Amino acid sequence: MKDVESLWDLFQRRNVSRRNFLKTCVTITGILGLSPSLISDVVSAAEKQPLVPVIWLHGHECTGCDEAFIRSQSPFASDVLLNMISMEYMDVLAAAAGEPLEHHLQEVMKKYNGKYLLAVEGAVPLNDDGIHCMVGGKTFVHNLKEVAKGAAAIIEVGSCAAWGGIQAAKPNPTKSVSVSDVVSGKTIIKVPGCPPIPEVITGVIMHYTLYGQIPPLDSKGRPKQFFGNRIHDTCYRRPFFDSGMFVEKFDDAASKAGWCLYKVGCRGPETYNSCGNMRWWNGLSYPIQSGAPCIGCSANNFWDNDPFYNRMPNIPVPNAIVNADQVGIVAAGALTAGVVIHGALSTIQHKRHHKETHETENDNE
Amino acid sequence: MKVRTVAVYYVFTIWTRIFHWLMVGAIAVLFCTGLYIGNPFYIGSQGVEPTFAVSNWASMSTIRFIHFAAAYILMASFIFRVYGFILHRGDRMLPKPWTKLFWTGMLDMGLHYSFLRSEHRPYLRNSMARAGYGGVYGMIFLEAFTGFAMYGQIDPNSWLSKIFGPLNHLLVDEYIVHMIHHYVAWMIILFVIIHVYMATRADMSEKYGEISAMFSGVKFYDKEPDDIGDLKK
Repeated sequence: MKDVESLWDLFQRRNVSRRNFLKTCVTITGILGLSPSLISDVVSAAEKQPLVPVIWLHGHECTGCDEAFIRSQSPFASDVLLNMISMEYMDVLAAAAGEPLEHHLQEVMKKYNGKYLLAVEGAVPLNDDGIHCMVGGKTFVHNLKEVAKGAAAIIEVGSCAAWGGIQAAKPNPTKSVSVSDVVSGKTIIKVPGCPPIPEVITGVIMHYTLYGQIPPLDSKGRPKQFFGNRIHDTCYRRPFFDSGMFVEKFDDAASKAGWCLYKVGCRGPETYNSCGNMRWWNGLSYPIQSGAPCIGCSANNFWDNDPFYNRMPNIPVPNAIVNADQVGIVAAGALTAGVVIHGALSTIQHKRHHKETHETENDNE
Repeated sequence: MKVRTVAVYYVFTIWTRIFHWLMVGAIAVLFCTGLYIGNPFYIGSQGVEPTFAVSNWASMSTIRFIHFAAAYILMASFIFRVYGFILHRGDRMLPKPWTKLFWTGMLDMGLHYSFLRSEHRPYLRNSMARAGYGGVYGMIFLEAFTGFAMYGQIDPNSWLSKIFGPLNHLLVDEYIVHMIHHYVAWMIILFVIIHVYMATRADMSEKYGEISAMFSGVKFYDKEPDDIGDLKK
């Protein structure tokens, strides 16, 4: 590829009208959640900002995030890939493979040193010197550190890259960690989710492409415009929660009526994502809308918070399946019985002691 | 009639006593509403249309409001506690593990409670009680921190969320924060059972006026308590 060019250059080269270009800019402004007054900023950025070279690495993961990414509809993933960024390396979508592709990676890293955006998908296994995930004959942790050195910013795509994901769930045999656990001194954007919402992945990439800077992040590094609110606080079933109308079982009348899934384990109240407002597949639906409680897939360590269809996790008690409330009631009951017995024994002791002291007092007289 | 000569010690100021009873009420409300929030059930007030059900007296929304209001009352009542703490030495009977008296007192009470010693030395507040109250303050603060960490996130840009929000990341994730909040609530209830029992037991067997002290502020002793240094210099 020649030197990187702007989106407007690309439109001109393909003989697409200025009108279409402006329409595209308006759409992008909307997707990024920006105010309409910023359209002119987006237009000028799209005219001048050179397309960002992107390197997309795959680590310890399932490529489910890619499956989500290629289903992005506004903007289309194909538009992002072909028109808006210059995707230089991505093992699963590249036409080339093997030695030539790895060779290309080295060239790109040299050519755009300090300028490219690095998207990482997948956790980083550290056990046994990282041999549990090998790419091109080298360990993933080695590749990651090498590519991260020259990156302008790093996007952790998906829960594996952001938190460690299912590999890092107990007992974590490969000692998998998140990207930010092994890479330091770089701006890191967390885009968690299993997978993340397609438009959220493309939205974050587009934000960086257009503005040349990362979106506003929260204290953990997640873009605020997508991970600022709990699913619970944006959920269309929230009125049922506030009214105390809950699904008790998956086949009851409440479930058919679409009441709140809180009692069947919905993790919406603890999970930060855009499912409630952006939804999936171009706003078609999202898990809660389909009647399935949220499992909190964008939350740290969510795999260990099982069972997913219970509000509370079970407490390990031998030969029983119990939660905190049941343990609490039994403990409080046992303790009450205990203090009653202790009280009775105390009374006996007190009386005896009283008698003794009384007798000694009498003797002294 | 047996005449008992006692000295009267003014131990608790009115501020600590007000705090104590506000706390009792607030914790009772917090625990009951908290259990409902953790495991809501149909209590007859809900309709079939959320538009109308939400304004009913016992909707989830109302019960959560009561929970949050009680939490704010509990937090505000600490003003009384702090005021008393500053004002009066008797309100400052902290656990003092750096003193010898704390540990001899602990042993003394341990032996007494396990029926190996029929009588214990007189204390304004014994070492076990001191440790227990220290523990329950710790639990209440843990509840407050985890509670505000969850509550503040309703508006992630609020100052409340800026202060307490990072706790959600510190403790792995918000789900864990929910669990800690729930488990510690039960531990506070276990404390309450022991506390009420111990106070009643002391009141009945030792006649120092253990329970009435939380209303009147005074305790009665035949002998000078060992930890009198905490009240007088």
